[in-house]
Amino acid sequence: MTPHFGLPEFGFLLRGLQWTVLLTLVAFAGGCTAGLAVALLRTCGHKGVEWITRIYIGIFQGTPLLLQLFVVYYGLALTGLKLDAFVAVAIGFTVNASAFLGEIWRGAIQAVPRGQTEAAMALGLHYSSRMRDIVLPQAIRISLPATIGYLVQLIKGTSLAAIVGFIELARAGQIVSNQTFQPLLVFGVVGAMYFILCWPLSWWGSRMEARLALASQR
Amino acid sequence: MKGVQKWYGGYQALRDVDLTVRKGEKIVLCGPSGSGKSTLIRCINRLEAIQQGNIVVNGHRLDDSIKAIDVVRQDVGMVFQSFNLFPHMTVLQNCMLAPIRARRIGKSAAEATARKFLERVRIGDQAEKYPAQLSGGQQQRVAIARALCMQPKVMLFDEPTSALDPEMVKEVLDTMIGLANDGMTMICVTHEMGFARQVADRVIFMAEGQIIEEGSPDAFFRNPQHARTRQFLGENPRPSLNGVLP
Repeated sequence: MTPHFGLPEFGFLLRGLQWTVLLTLVAFAGGCTAGLAVALLRTCGHKGVEWITRIYIGIFQGTPLLLQLFVVYYGLALTGLKLDAFVAVAIGFTVNASAFLGEIWRGAIQAVPRGQTEAAMALGLHYSSRMRDIVLPQAIRISLPATIGYLVQLIKGTSLAAIVGFIELARAGQIVSNQTFQPLLVFGVVGAMYFILCWPLSWWGSRMEARLALASQR
Repeated sequence: MKGVQKWYGGYQALRDVDLTVRKGEKIVLCGPSGSGKSTLIRCINRLEAIQQGNIVVNGHRLDDSIKAIDVVRQDVGMVFQSFNLFPHMTVLQNCMLAPIRARRIGKSAAEATARKFLERVRIGDQAEKYPAQLSGGQQQRVAIARALCMQPKVMLFDEPTSALDPEMVKEVLDTMIGLANDGMTMICVTHEMGFARQVADRVIFMAEGQIIEEGSPDAFFRNPQHARTRQFLGENPRPSLNGVLP
């Protein structure tokens, strides 16, 4: 007798959702930190360093995320470094996110008018103050819609973590569906959960974009 | 400044420029666009690097070291054509940032200085506003106050009125005249010949990266020596004092 989709099954999906959210938060926080470093190195003015970060971004944007997760989970295991599935996918997503966010913010930093940096230099401000006080506050504002857009991609992208056996929302849905033979219902619920996470973010992002467009008209 | 040469790739922007400015002197640089006037003053605070020659500011030789650049930038204030105020900060914050960060002055002292100079450019009542809420003329006066807050020994002006509507030019020029009367050393790139006539100790004419002619405003406007200068002055409106006298 196969179980029907009920409260216990729903609870299982909720736990999957929890892991999806947790993985997203860790990957996003890690990706923001590393991505900021990538963006700063990418715009530092030193040819060699800029070249290296360009290659770094190229590698992680130019290969499938799935492959990167394989390398971190199975590849590192071969070298004797056996990582917990969550740790492995968290590392994989963080590195991947750092490349994408780094490139988004590189564009935003370069979109801040050159005159802002010149005025700051003329006032005798050093690099750290120029970045922290002048360029980054403006760059973050410029990049906010794209950053939120990437966050939405990341939430949905975490479903790839299932490939190394990590049970997040999509994988949980697959398990429940296999047990209950009610794929339409189960994946409908799973889809709704993703939607509830992503849609408000998308909405916020496009509102932010509209507001920025308005501000730049003034 | 001696024997200064500057190239942009294969293009030579400054050719063997010699220039000495005494303390308290007011210099007006003029010339056709592309003649190197802006490049020249941007070299003084090292917004542009030079390839040959020497620049000494207030006894400090400007070289590639961060320390030398720092020392020189502390002494040199600059006002840009496009104001370059920081849009995410209020007028007051714009004026307080550099003294706090670069001169390590306390917040309350920085605020007192900022308010003093904002008062001096007659814009003290706008201190809490953001740059976008001000007119172009007001923004440029804030930019002047912001530079003054660092207590520079020299002020550089890079076409400060070129981006302004005609009715706002006067308020900015008046502010600059006030500054000149207080004894500030000033080097101004400007097309405002009336200002040059009234304020300048020396007018310098540049073309193709070279100093072609220099002299007192009187001699310069009345009796230009070079054909190139005469041609330039012929193309520009005659110097008049209308609208510039306070």
